[in-house]
Amino acid sequence: MNRMSDEGGIYKTMATYDKRWVYVALFVIVLYSLIRPIGMPIGISAMTKNYKAQLDTLQEGDIVFSTWNMEFSGYMELKPGVLATHKMFIEKGVKLCIAFGHFECVALPPEIFKQIRTTLDEYDYTEGEDYIIIGYVFPNEAAVAALARDFHANVRVDWKGNSIEGTFLDEIQNAGDFDMISDYTTGLATTFLIRHIVLEYDTPMVVNSIGVSVPGHLANLDAGLITALLASTRGGAELEFLTNSPGPGLKSMDAFTFGHYSLIIFIIIGNIGHYGWTRRTGARERTGIK
Amino acid sequence: MNEFLSFAAVVMGIFISFCMYTTLYGKPNPLRSWAEYSYLGAGTGVSIVIGLTYIWNTAILGIQAGDWILIFSIILGLMMVLRVHPTYSYVSRLPLAFTVGTGLALSLRTQIFTSFTLQIRAVIVKLWTNVPLDLLYRVTIAVSVITILTFFLYTMELSGPLFWTSRVGEHLMYIGFGAIFAQTFMGRLGLFIGYMESLTTPTWKTPYTLASALICLIAAILFERTGLGEKLSAG
Amino acid sequence: MSSFFKSRSAQITVLIVSFLLVFIPYFIPWGPLDWFSGKLMTIAAVTNAFTIVIAVYSQFRRSGRFINERRKGWVYHIYLLVLLAVMTLSGFIFGQHEGAYQWILLAVVTPLSSVIYGILAFYMSSAGARAFRARSPQSALLLIAGFVVLMYQAPLTGAFFPGIEGAATYLTDTFGMSVSRMFSISVSIGAIVLGVRMLTGKEVAFLGFGEGDE
Repeated sequence: MNRMSDEGGIYKTMATYDKRWVYVALFVIVLYSLIRPIGMPIGISAMTKNYKAQLDTLQEGDIVFSTWNMEFSGYMELKPGVLATHKMFIEKGVKLCIAFGHFECVALPPEIFKQIRTTLDEYDYTEGEDYIIIGYVFPNEAAVAALARDFHANVRVDWKGNSIEGTFLDEIQNAGDFDMISDYTTGLATTFLIRHIVLEYDTPMVVNSIGVSVPGHLANLDAGLITALLASTRGGAELEFLTNSPGPGLKSMDAFTFGHYSLIIFIIIGNIGHYGWTRRTGARERTGIK
Repeated sequence: MNEFLSFAAVVMGIFISFCMYTTLYGKPNPLRSWAEYSYLGAGTGVSIVIGLTYIWNTAILGIQAGDWILIFSIILGLMMVLRVHPTYSYVSRLPLAFTVGTGLALSLRTQIFTSFTLQIRAVIVKLWTNVPLDLLYRVTIAVSVITILTFFLYTMELSGPLFWTSRVGEHLMYIGFGAIFAQTFMGRLGLFIGYMESLTTPTWKTPYTLASALICLIAAILFERTGLGEKLSAG
Repeated sequence: MSSFFKSRSAQITVLIVSFLLVFIPYFIPWGPLDWFSGKLMTIAAVTNAFTIVIAVYSQFRRSGRFINERRKGWVYHIYLLVLLAVMTLSGFIFGQHEGAYQWILLAVVTPLSSVIYGILAFYMSSAGARAFRARSPQSALLLIAGFVVLMYQAPLTGAFFPGIEGAATYLTDTFGMSVSRMFSISVSIGAIVLGVRMLTGKEVAFLGFGEGDE
């Protein structure tokens, strides 16, 4: 960090400090908040309430197309929503057909089902009977369109190579036979699902999206293309609260709060330094790593 | 996988993550290069396995089940692969034209609805409503979309009322960008926090996380100070 | 035979025919054509999936060049190719759910995937600290809107200032959404125009033709 000089003083420091201190500060703030959570209150948005209301319309025996269009990194952000939603599915007794939109999703099922093991055991939810993972079936738009039109011509086995004949998926001829699509997305095949399933078959679709894609999905929500939207980690934490199943989302909210406040503070410091020193002196000192 | 291997995978994952985080230090070092090339190699391997498994499950099993027309997918796919051949790369143009034509049809026939007409229809709604908040939202959306669109008219000179609407649109767009930036930051922060949460839950992982962070930071500093970072890294 | 494959008009014909065979049944449903159109989509999906082979070949070529010429970091390229081979072989021989494939997936791929995207949070923080200045009315508007939404997104703020939810939701659900909607409309117009240009043969670079090539 630059030492305070006689000229500019604290303003110069605020304008020219090494950016790596920002990284260190963010790391320390987040790690400390996770290791020593306080448990702050959380408000529930109308969007999350609507998401839960859509899930509440499901009945026992309904078949939901759960599409995991996320890399493992995206799962880190969507984890609270994924776990809370799947717990709701299990408790309601819906059947799940799980499809992957990214090759990294193959690592997700053990991770996800480990976290909801208690719920799975409590409701005796078993693979093959209550849920089937059909694996990576969305490499491109043509694959989504083909699967939507003729399910069994494009999906014959599950992700472990077992035939899906004789399972609850026999009822599915095309994507219109699903009672709902539950999408967890970083923005991969979601657009294709909307174009080839929602538009064609009017299947209701709920989306759990990363923060980057939320503005785009808000437009789809407003246009009626999707029926509900859960936004990022915060939305997942709100859903955990609503469904009374505390998990990683609520645990992360302290870190979430302090992370946001820290960005605001960094921006304010940067502006003070800019107006207090950089602009006044007319000089722009190169900052960062020396 | 037995317990020891599971434990080893977790610890290795934590350590290699912080090796990658040394990117933030800003100087090249071999830990970061090792992590980078590990991801490239392993990630490419995974994509090959998954991709070829998809081809097997969809095409080969389909042909075995009697869907003979899918033989063309194998033929066209192999022709596509010839793109890498120095002499016969022209053979790949045919399957390329086919896939592009099919993809165009799939996207155009639906995009016109989802991204165009339905989006416009969502703007043209009855503005007047008994709920004041709905009125405010609808008017704002209508004014914003129309004025922002006029801002992006580059094919003609904007003057008179069109000039002023584009100026209004420009300012409203900046408000939108501010909101979008905040949501984007929320997403990226959530991603980072989610991963850190997984590195501290259950609590037995925390000491390994802290130790890895410290070791990698010290190593990055030492590599820089000794000059070995530049020599031993990949570039 | 090779002249057929090299002919620009043949490629454009294939492009247009495949386009029509998938486009028309959407608007004029007719059993046999519908069935054929569905099969064409499956064939296109599988054909596209073969491009992974091209990607892997390119990686091998690039790494091979580094190793042959002993360029800086060539040892890492050997390591990359070995790891690639181990993953591929163990995935096919021992299966995707056990063995070295599963272990490397959990120990290497998934953590690093999380880190690579998570690093963006740091870059956004430092970019915010460095670049966000209220220098003009537009940037001031951007800052204020960003500030309000950031404050709302921190759950603690809503507990002390309940009114912030209304303000932030207004900004995101109107202005933010309008920008996205505008981009969506513009991009779709651009995509349609590009599609028409490709179908009319005015845009053939994707097939590997340059200007004046036949």
